[in-house]
Amino acid sequence: MDIQSVTSASAMLDRKPGGVKGAGSSAALAKPGALLMALEEAQRACEFSYLSEETLRAIAASTGEPLSRVYSVATFYSFFNLTPQGKNTIVVCRGTACHTRGSLALLREAAARLGMPEFREDEEPSFTTDDKLFTVRTVACFGQCALAPVVSINGTIFSRITTSKLCTLLDGLKKGARR
Amino acid sequence: MNAREMAAMAARGIVTVKPDVPMISVGLGTCGIGNGADVLFDALVDAASGGKVLVKKAGCFGFCAEEPLLMLYRPGNPILLFGDVKASKAGKFVDAACDEKVYNKLAKTARAKISNWDFRTSAFDFGQGFPEIPEWNEMPFFKGQEKLVLRDCGLIDPENLEEYVAVGGYGALAKVLGGMSPEEGIAEVTNARLRGRGGAGFPTGIKWKMMRQNVAPAKYVICNADEGDPGAYMNRNEIESDPHMLIEGMVLGAYAMGAATGIVYVRAEYPLAVERLRKAIADAYAAGFLGERIMGSNFSFSLEIVSGAGAFVCGEETALIASVEGKAGRPLPRPPFPAQKGYLGMPTNINNVETWCNVPVIIARGASYFTDIGTEKSPGTKVFSLVGKVKNTGLVELPLGTPLADIVYGMGEGAGAHKHIKAVQTGGPSGGCIPASKFDVHVDYESLASLGAIMGSGGMVVMDQDNCMVDVAKYFVSFTSAESCGKCAPCREGLSQMLRILTAISRGEGGAEDLVELDRLARVIKDSSLCGLGQTSANPVLTTLEYFRDEYESHILEKRCDAGTCESLFEALCENSCPLHMNIPGYLALLEDGRIEDAFELTLRDNPLPGSMGRICHFHCQMRCRRETLDEPVAQGEIHRYLADTMYKMGREKDVWARLVKEKKPATGRTVAIIGAGPAGLAASFYLSRLGHDVTVFDSKAKAGGILRYGIPGYRLPKDILDKEIELWKKLGVKFVFNTTVGKDVKFDAIRSQYDALIVAVGAQADKRLGVPGEDLPGVHPGYEWLEAFSLGKAKKPGRRALVIGGGNVAIDAARTLFRQDCEVTVAYRRSKADMPANAIELAGAEDEGIRIEFMLQPLEILGEGGKVKAVRFRVMRAGGIDPSGRPKPVETDRIVDIPCDDVYISVGERVESAFLASEGIPALKDGRIAADALSGRAVGNVWAIGDAVTGPATAAEAMGLGKRTAKAVDEELMQRDVFGTLFRDFGHSMDLPPEPLKTQMCRSKQVPPEERRGNFQEISMGYSGEQALVEAARCLRCDIRANARSPWR
Ligand code: FES
Repeated sequence: MDIQSVTSASAMLDRKPGGVKGAGSSAALAKPGALLMALEEAQRACEFSYLSEETLRAIAASTGEPLSRVYSVATFYSFFNLTPQGKNTIVVCRGTACHTRGSLALLREAAARLGMPEFREDEEPSFTTDDKLFTVRTVACFGQCALAPVVSINGTIFSRITTSKLCTLLDGLKKGARR
Repeated sequence: MNAREMAAMAARGIVTVKPDVPMISVGLGTCGIGNGADVLFDALVDAASGGKVLVKKAGCFGFCAEEPLLMLYRPGNPILLFGDVKASKAGKFVDAACDEKVYNKLAKTARAKISNWDFRTSAFDFGQGFPEIPEWNEMPFFKGQEKLVLRDCGLIDPENLEEYVAVGGYGALAKVLGGMSPEEGIAEVTNARLRGRGGAGFPTGIKWKMMRQNVAPAKYVICNADEGDPGAYMNRNEIESDPHMLIEGMVLGAYAMGAATGIVYVRAEYPLAVERLRKAIADAYAAGFLGERIMGSNFSFSLEIVSGAGAFVCGEETALIASVEGKAGRPLPRPPFPAQKGYLGMPTNINNVETWCNVPVIIARGASYFTDIGTEKSPGTKVFSLVGKVKNTGLVELPLGTPLADIVYGMGEGAGAHKHIKAVQTGGPSGGCIPASKFDVHVDYESLASLGAIMGSGGMVVMDQDNCMVDVAKYFVSFTSAESCGKCAPCREGLSQMLRILTAISRGEGGAEDLVELDRLARVIKDSSLCGLGQTSANPVLTTLEYFRDEYESHILEKRCDAGTCESLFEALCENSCPLHMNIPGYLALLEDGRIEDAFELTLRDNPLPGSMGRICHFHCQMRCRRETLDEPVAQGEIHRYLADTMYKMGREKDVWARLVKEKKPATGRTVAIIGAGPAGLAASFYLSRLGHDVTVFDSKAKAGGILRYGIPGYRLPKDILDKEIELWKKLGVKFVFNTTVGKDVKFDAIRSQYDALIVAVGAQADKRLGVPGEDLPGVHPGYEWLEAFSLGKAKKPGRRALVIGGGNVAIDAARTLFRQDCEVTVAYRRSKADMPANAIELAGAEDEGIRIEFMLQPLEILGEGGKVKAVRFRVMRAGGIDPSGRPKPVETDRIVDIPCDDVYISVGERVESAFLASEGIPALKDGRIAADALSGRAVGNVWAIGDAVTGPATAAEAMGLGKRTAKAVDEELMQRDVFGTLFRDFGHSMDLPPEPLKTQMCRSKQVPPEERRGNFQEISMGYSGEQALVEAARCLRCDIRANARSPWR
């Protein structure tokens, strides 16, 4: 983790969340969800959007929270990554609506096309290609269920995805990434 | 903020809610944006720049399947609603907004109009006109909806506080702060009998009162916007489309309960909701609806956002509090309840987004306004996210107590004519699956609970025949087991045990005892888990076990997943959908390798009538072919027809047949009688004789084939092909006893006692009657009976004008046969063309031949003259709402038409003639079908039943599939062995994935032109050339190339 993100994370703890008048408590962590937000911020600030050991230590130090607690929180929530993520992120929704409309096949296809045919979501939460270009992950639901199945690529949501549409998108992404 | 300032603010808001200039608004929720609404919006802004058209952002109107949704308003006219609007049309809409002529023309494409709107806290008249356009709530999707929570969604700009105030927003707050005591506020909510909208439906008033009574240095109110149910998204939309409604609800609650601080806990996956809520909170602070001394009163309240980080368990109140405190979200035992000891140890009240959103309406309009909607015990409305396998997906808000069928078939408009809806899953991982047979349930808390489901936050996922219920249970259990916080053993250990069992079942490794174990585990988890997540996590398992036990059994006993979801149980979807489970990728690969004989042998072992079935099959395989998502399915059937034709032409089938005869199993000494030599009986006898049994087939006709010979006309299936294929049975030593009707010529009982096993395969050939006057006049013919008589050469010469009533294959076969007899043929059907059950290709063929087909005609009476048919009188029908068959229900109009004719052929379905069996003690259902075990086909004792006699009219392939399966079961029963798999052979076909599948469309075989078809019964389709067959085979995507692909029969 770079210096900048550590400072921004701790700055975050001093700030009243959301630019909103706070509850008027003085202890930094008495502010609702402050630790969560600090972790979220730090992850967003990291180039490979993950929380490294140093980052967790830095957050523990700057907040005065025991490292064990910071670690417990970071591992509890699915939002946090503890390993470096690829440059491009493909997130396949595995919510009920998407599942009933065939999102498992999409996940398989994405994994296979990016060189990890044996990826199984029940064993691993995500995988990243060796060249760190791609990460494939799942999400519980995007809230876009009416247009299932849904896949997001680098934050852009694509609805009513079919295998062939996904392949076209991935091919484009691969070409772009290699350049 | 005082009353005067509020009025001024409202006045500013009205300018954009109901402007004096033309306005175009676009729904910019997450679903709209995901479908291009943002691009459309930008295009509109560009097109409108400089003009005086107001282009406005709005929230989502709920009809997500039709996004982007656009509303066009010209002052004095109703708002017009357009769906699925492309950005390229932006200029057109701007023109229409400015120019009356363009406007009137464009209006014709509007989906609906909104003449006036009740915002519940105020009402607006927009304008009258366009009588031909339905009001919004006359469209099927919105019919029956009541927008109480979604009152503003889609009509106001969620980022504009002034608009919210203009439609009466913060009016309830002004009312309360202007002179209602906190107790009065609580009383209003209590009297409204509002119940929590996030789960079990606990009375909100009671919860508030408990909180009010606790005196403490600080109290907190929290909004649960974690929306953890995957597949539900109403809370996202409520916040995105109308954030102030949530803020107002929370301020009202805080005032009533005496809390000074509020927290909204939103999931991180909803960035747009967070962004809009942040802005709304800032605006509310600035306007004085939040912060110190709100609206000049003594009441102060601050509100903050905490974004969650993805943990389902945080929907549980105590876990959510832990999470807000910055800890891992693990629940605590209750009591103490959060109302006593919650966030930071202080009294805390948590309500779901939608619960909060109801509060302003209740306060503004009074409790009785609210209780007038919904049911006695569950007043008000509930927003559901209707998703999954229905045509209209989106957010529906309806009065509690609405029947589920109205939602699925009415608002959702079903899943189309070709799919049948099997279940609705409500309440997500904590809910259950409600089977279609229970869709008359009224949706409220108690009724859903009585079925083992819950209302939950309002997720409603529709599932059809392609969804496997074992997989659904496994899906939810794997979700909850991953989300279990691990604190208590029943949930942590129990769920992983359930997951292990369900995974084994889905891989075909389950045993019968597993179902008992599952049920026991589920009940233990339900009774002994610490928190709501654990206690409800067994519901998906319990409900599927209760309502879909047959699916579990077929996974365990047959090792089959009919839905084609559990991948370890089939080779490819085409193979799985084929009732005979033909190894389709296998013979395609062999053909490509030039191994025609092997390819033919492979098809023959799977389907003993490859040439005949390749012509007339319903081609179940094509309906699930994955190639269809690229262009068109692979014509698997045409290819096995080609293989058979080629082999027969060269006379090379003899070698293959000889092999089958040679490898017949040693004689078992067991005798099997089969009644009926149709497709089902032929399939059963083929396999049973190969297994070494002594098989005798009885049939009342002179030859074998049943419907293939006597029902299906020669232009579809030439009889010499059938004759050729049936030679094999004689070679295998199957004995046929023809011209013998069991029950008449020989006694059923005699056969039953003489043979070790008896299989009834009598089909369903008795024509149903119309039940209208005049049906017994001369010149009225039951359709199937007539086809049979015709094939036997016993039909009288038909009159010139033939009228066929019906829409199935028998009707079309009769019509095309009559056309070949030089008749002028009309077919009359009571529904529309899209809803016809006949094969599409037959229907197209009939139309090519110039047969007239009239739709939406319901026969009323057959009119006679001089003791003979003269015409048929019909009532003209029109398409109504969707019925449970997935098709629009024909409803009566007052128009009547007469179609004159010389003969009438009635083909409105067939039924099973099983009266003679009832007296023999064979169990039958009310409609005549024989009751047989769904897995083995066993009816009673040594009697088995297969084919249409069991299923009612079905396809020939389905009948053969049952014959095949029952042959296996009979052999196992007679011999106590499991050798069925040895009847098949592995030909070692290539398992290389084609680098790029061939890009061509489906090959079409050559056809005899329509003008050459009159007066003869020459086969229409000439079949593939060798070249075509190869090209077609190369189109296959080879879905079977997977590590876990296998078929239980091979
Ligand atoms: S289930 Fe996939 S977006 Fe909700």
